[in-house]
Amino acid sequence: MMSFSQKITVWSLVWFSIITLSLPTLVVLGASLTAGNMVAFPPQGLSLQWYEKIALARDLQQAFLRSLIVAGICTLVAVPVGTLAGLALSRFRLRFTTAIQVYLLLPFTVPLIGSGIGLMLVFGEWHVLGSLWPVGMACAVINLPFIIWSVSSSAVLLDPDLELAAQNCGAGRVQTFLHVTLPAVMPGVITGGLLMFILAMNEFLVSLLLTDARIVTLPVLIYNSIRSIITPDLAAVSVVFIAIALAAIWLLDKLVGLEIFLKSK
Amino acid sequence: MSGTGSSDAVVARNVDMDFGTGAMAVKQAGFSLARGRFLTILGPSGSGKTTLLRMIAGFQTPTRGEILIGGKPADAVAPHRRSVGMVFQKLALFPHMSVEENVAFPLKMRRFNPREIPGRVAQYLDLVRLGGFAKRRINELSGGQQQRVAIARALVFEPELLLLDEPLAALDRKLREEMQLEFRRIQKELGVTTINVTHDQREALVVSDEIIVMDQGEIQQHASPVEMYRRPANPFVAHFIGVSSFLAGRRTETGLTVNGSDCAGQAVADIAPGAEARGAIRAEQVRIAAPGDALSGCDTVLEGQVSDTIFEGERLLYFVTLPALATTIQVFHHDPAEHAPYARGATVSVGWTARDLLIFPAKDR
Repeated sequence: MMSFSQKITVWSLVWFSIITLSLPTLVVLGASLTAGNMVAFPPQGLSLQWYEKIALARDLQQAFLRSLIVAGICTLVAVPVGTLAGLALSRFRLRFTTAIQVYLLLPFTVPLIGSGIGLMLVFGEWHVLGSLWPVGMACAVINLPFIIWSVSSSAVLLDPDLELAAQNCGAGRVQTFLHVTLPAVMPGVITGGLLMFILAMNEFLVSLLLTDARIVTLPVLIYNSIRSIITPDLAAVSVVFIAIALAAIWLLDKLVGLEIFLKSK
Repeated sequence: MSGTGSSDAVVARNVDMDFGTGAMAVKQAGFSLARGRFLTILGPSGSGKTTLLRMIAGFQTPTRGEILIGGKPADAVAPHRRSVGMVFQKLALFPHMSVEENVAFPLKMRRFNPREIPGRVAQYLDLVRLGGFAKRRINELSGGQQQRVAIARALVFEPELLLLDEPLAALDRKLREEMQLEFRRIQKELGVTTINVTHDQREALVVSDEIIVMDQGEIQQHASPVEMYRRPANPFVAHFIGVSSFLAGRRTETGLTVNGSDCAGQAVADIAPGAEARGAIRAEQVRIAAPGDALSGCDTVLEGQVSDTIFEGERLLYFVTLPALATTIQVFHHDPAEHAPYARGATVSVGWTARDLLIFPAKDR
């Protein structure tokens, strides 16, 4: 049991964290609802005019669609590759395990600008720049460690006897994988898949390097816009982004349950 | 128990398992098991018993030697094509499937007629007394109920052989004893050949038709429970099953001389007189009485002091120090209500008949 003063301290910290973390979101949300022509908080009057404007803006719509395509390609590539790699790394003794583990740390050690320029050179050499799929591939390559981690953490919890039990029940290798292994690591696959989608959706730096004026993605378009003038429509776009992220978390909770992230070990 | 007949469900011949980590996990294991029998492989942890079971299931391939299942060499048969059902130590039920889906899984994988599956699942759930639990999730069941699902899943496709890999080890004592009798009932009802692995000597005695005792990868003895208990092949078996005291000495005409005192006993093998030997005597075969009591019928009677007494409910366990032998032996005293228990430090007489002190060659472990 906590004493009264402990309760006060804990709850103050909790509310302080909640407010600091959500303040930027609330400001953006407020700014997007302004009736005026400037980004301002508190908003000058309430209106949905900026949402109407972005809903009608063709360049925004197309950039949004391109971002969805990039995120979709990234997810489609990363889910099978990441799932198999994650399983292999956690279930089998492999040669070069150390080397692979070092590779998995790369996203934290190599700045994105470095990997982005590398990919730009490679794709430029192949003459494929200017289409969307290299951007999706690039996002998959750069963010792959995240889904591998996510799948591995599910896989290490998997009792190896489950697969032997499946064999004992008469299941061959493929059937064992489909009926037992895959369902067991599904929480990791779903989490990793959503993560890959959101990361690719939001990816800015690599998109900036790999896109040109004809195929800008949404984050790049927003960047281009704020270099000239910051108008409330950008706040509205940001709110749409936040809504997508919230939808992803809601979906994750429905499919996997958030408690696996909240569990303290 | 040796000799290979056509009715043998399982035969192992000179089976070695070498993981390349020093000592071999299984050395020269050989046994045969007739159809419909219940065999328990008993041994301490690290004795190789689970490795032997996993080779029979097909999860590991013997380094040398061969295993026959139903008269056919098993090496060439992949684990999922063997007619072997297994209950795993941690059960390994599929957590994302219901009770009924778990039990139906082997039938689906083994391509049973889909119209036959629901009836068969219901039949086996009834057999393990889980009718009415078909739709439950695995994590909604108690430990004992999960055991029953695992048994049903292992038996539903009517395998030639049932393997039990210490599935009862994690249960509390009451439930474990209940499940031991349950295994025995189901095994007798279906007549399925069964190999059980355990380190629990009581379980081995209760459930089995035959017992194999293993230690350090080697089979020490293969016998019926009664024979195993009454005529252990070596001191290790005598030590592992039941409570025995050991006396180190030299062989004499009538038994063993320990620290210069004669002890009546009988040798289990030819031992030259004067050679080093070890005697073993069960705690329940030693009689205890007040000092000076002649203990009629005993061939050896010695005086000693009680160094400790332990109340075990249905019996008392005395540790009695015998100055003549310079050792301490364990003595069971049943129905202690009849006598005032001998206090610590009290002088007592202990005795045994020659038949009950078994004498082994000293080189035996």
